[in-house]
Amino acid sequence: MSRFGVKEGGEARKPLPYITNYSQGFWEGTKAGELRIQKCNACSHKQWIPKAACEECGSIDLSWIKSGGKGKVYSYSIIRHVVMNSMAFEKEIPYALALIDLDDGVRVVGQVVECKPEDVKIGMEVEAFFEDIGGASIFKFRPRR
Amino acid sequence: MTLRGKAAIVSYGETPVTRARKDKGEPRLSYWEYFAWATSLALKKAGMTTKDLDGQGLAVMHPEVDHSLFLGVEVAEMLGVTSKWIITPSHGGASGCVGLAQAALAVSSGIVDRVLCVIGDAPMTYGDTMMLTEHRRDFEKPFGVMGPTSLFALVMRRHMEQYGTKVEHTGKIAVTQREHAVLNPDAVFKERFTMEDYLNSRMIAEPIRLLDTVMRVNGGSAFIVTKTEEAKRWTDKPVYLLGYGECNNYHHGSKALSDATLMGIGQASREALSMAGLEPRDMNFFQPYDDFTIAVLMQIEAAGFCEVGKGGKFIEETDLSYRGSIPLNTGGGQISAGQPGLAGGNLNLVEGVRQLRGEGEGRQIQGAKAGMVTGIGAVQYGRNVGYNSVAVLGSEL
Ligand SMILES: [Zn+2]
Repeated sequence: MSRFGVKEGGEARKPLPYITNYSQGFWEGTKAGELRIQKCNACSHKQWIPKAACEECGSIDLSWIKSGGKGKVYSYSIIRHVVMNSMAFEKEIPYALALIDLDDGVRVVGQVVECKPEDVKIGMEVEAFFEDIGGASIFKFRPRR
Repeated sequence: MTLRGKAAIVSYGETPVTRARKDKGEPRLSYWEYFAWATSLALKKAGMTTKDLDGQGLAVMHPEVDHSLFLGVEVAEMLGVTSKWIITPSHGGASGCVGLAQAALAVSSGIVDRVLCVIGDAPMTYGDTMMLTEHRRDFEKPFGVMGPTSLFALVMRRHMEQYGTKVEHTGKIAVTQREHAVLNPDAVFKERFTMEDYLNSRMIAEPIRLLDTVMRVNGGSAFIVTKTEEAKRWTDKPVYLLGYGECNNYHHGSKALSDATLMGIGQASREALSMAGLEPRDMNFFQPYDDFTIAVLMQIEAAGFCEVGKGGKFIEETDLSYRGSIPLNTGGGQISAGQPGLAGGNLNLVEGVRQLRGEGEGRQIQGAKAGMVTGIGAVQYGRNVGYNSVAVLGSEL
């Protein structure tokens, strides 16, 4: 693979994450159709992105909880060009990328699809679903029905 | 312990920047060559040789391209210098200001008398070869995030919604900085554009347009910091560090749901101004790190030139040119002068030094005595930003 995610003589592929011991639970979750976030067993803080410690109290005693996957758009952008990422995204352009505040109290970033990108608004209610990108599954969002 | 007036910048050197276009016959240099070139320019301007760096300090800032882990001592080896004290700021775009502060600490505590601060970077030669953050690789790129451009687009949209900021406000920043670049012989972009041109420029990640962003180039930059007592031995125009502040991993409110319109530059600039004993209105210029125009607007607010959320109106009502009340990025900034990788973190700092030495040529601010420069580095999503660093510089103690 070249640095732009283009397979020699083939189609561009989506970039894949490195799966570490502390993030494994999340990636197992997306495969099983669950959006898992970390909860601290010491102070009950919930956090995203997965980390090896609680960002609130420093405890290393963390567990996974299943998020309802529902939230509201905190902000959004319409992506018009591939910049510093795989050309595999070119066939999805234009698409809406958004910061989503989940009802569980954490902010995640992901694509909002199944609507026109222009229809995405701040405050819009969305829900997560999962998509296999070949080697891992990611979450995307769609308008809540 | 305060750093106020303890250290001075006595010299600087900047290499020309280049897109390294093979079709135009432009050479593709390595980052090493930019480290060497920038050093030789700074030494020459001070009337120093590498012998003057033996037993002294060396601040080697990390470039963005894939580089040697032991870069610090390898730069010393290349220069043939036996350093007493090597620091390696790895604060992304904040490394310039951070390097200045760490050098000032070293000379003010008596460890060394002087420190060469240097960086060379060559993204046009090496490309995107460095893993900048693991979260970007694992939790942003697979999810469709297009690097800092899309992250700042998300911040900009939120700022627009929360405060009524308009694209004409960031547009005025872009137009003003380009006007400055036209007056800077070293800038990559020298063609004027109008607000209409700005509004018509290609969307990259809405609401961010092409003219809101930087063009990457190769280049190198160096400056030399000495203890105040020996500054005049090297120059009759020392530029003193009057105040410094740093705030890293900033968040506001819940760590998981921070207000994305606020920046750690707020706290860092209050500390820097307090150390200097000055107010925002005392600043004769503002040279904020500019990877995107919205980052400039938010730093104008955070640094206290106006209230948070009023940046748009402030920009509308203020002359930001080198003749105005608060001259902004008078060399054109990275957005119009080019971003030499992470050496871009030195660009606006060196421009501040130039102004305070009266070397601003066609864009010289009359009577510039004090001003503020910033560095920011490591963009997280929904938080601004990883590294926040602010220096207040002055031509008088
Ligand atoms: Zn905790």
